[in-house]
Amino acid sequence: MTLSGETPAGSGLDSDVALAAGGDQSAFERLYRTHVARIHSLTRRMLSSQEADEVTQDIFVRTWQKLGQFRGDSAFSTWLHRLAVNVVIERRRSFAIQRDRMTDDPTALDLLTVGPARADLKVDFEQAIDQLPPGAREIFVLHDVEGYKHREIAVMLEIATGTSKRQLHRARMLMRKHLSGD
Amino acid sequence: MHQEWTDQLSDYLDGELPAEEREAVEAHLRACAPCAAVLEDLKRIVARAATVAARPPDADLWAGIAARIEAGTASAPGRVMPFSPRESRRFTFTLPQLAAAAALLIAVSGGIAWNAAERIGASSSSVAVAQPVQTADAGRGADLQVRPESAAPASGTGAADFARVENVGLADAQYDAAVADLEKALQAGRGRLDASTVAIVEHNLQIIDQAINQARDALAGDPANSYLSSHLVEARRRKLDLLRRATALATETD
Repeated sequence: MTLSGETPAGSGLDSDVALAAGGDQSAFERLYRTHVARIHSLTRRMLSSQEADEVTQDIFVRTWQKLGQFRGDSAFSTWLHRLAVNVVIERRRSFAIQRDRMTDDPTALDLLTVGPARADLKVDFEQAIDQLPPGAREIFVLHDVEGYKHREIAVMLEIATGTSKRQLHRARMLMRKHLSGD
Repeated sequence: MHQEWTDQLSDYLDGELPAEEREAVEAHLRACAPCAAVLEDLKRIVARAATVAARPPDADLWAGIAARIEAGTASAPGRVMPFSPRESRRFTFTLPQLAAAAALLIAVSGGIAWNAAERIGASSSSVAVAQPVQTADAGRGADLQVRPESAAPASGTGAADFARVENVGLADAQYDAAVADLEKALQAGRGRLDASTVAIVEHNLQIIDQAINQARDALAGDPANSYLSSHLVEARRRKLDLLRRATALATETD
């Protein structure tokens, strides 16, 4: 997959990755400031606003601990993002049973709290994501926001590709219902 | 709108349908305006999702990250930062100082909760021993983990690295008594800490309390889950540690 914000070869960020891997906290802080918005947005959308701060901190501490394992086979931003996704998934697994979240629920469309469409689409869109059921939200964020493919999501979440597709469609239809106010 | 067709629209939109099914969907869309309208809505949602902007956190999280990194670094042999009180009556501690002091104070204050628990005579079947151990990512410094009392140190690690630093009962009665004692002591001494230190401590306590509550809720639905149990124990231990550090810092200034 192609991720926006990838680190160009030979950039200052590459130097910061090397410096941080050597224990330079100032370099690591620069990496944090470059990537925190994207990582925090990922955690906020996949978990909740309440958990996002704590989990974002966990992700960057874990990144610091694992920097020695970064080989440069991919862009640092890609490596960091995958690490973040793994931390989020671990977090979700610890508080929910994956099997239950992924069960298709034909009544789910009727259970969503539907708010009226508003002019402030930016806020409304984020709120609509927040209101998705956990399983559908997870896959909507990974596929439509973050750009992962169904086969990648299936591996990460240990689910069938068909389940990923069904949950994505469910999520999109719920988003449509929320945003249109039907 | 026909659900048997709209159910295929996401796969159609993502190019996931075989040619024959794709052609069938297209034929239906040409004849059915409501289904075609749903497809247009889904296209807009997908386009919007792909461009939704990243937003930074409301608060700067770096201080907390740096403190945790420093705490790990300070635990490494020979890298413990000395801690000494300032001269003024009101003391200000930087985060690295707070973290470095915590590493030292864990060793000397480890008995606080144990003693508190002994006073109330409570017994527990879930007594745990926290020992400083290298994590699997040993290259980035040490971390603290809760090990069962019977757990053996990792092979190849010197006995000195695994010196017992605390005995903490984490069953409800012991835990609540220890937390209550520490909170009382912290409340009495908080006037000696500067506002930013108090704010950091309170913020972290809130986060830990959230984790404890979530683990409890999850355990209520899945009481046999050993991972959740260990997560709850760890969260409670973190709260005790934090309270101990903060209390020790407050009383250190006397």
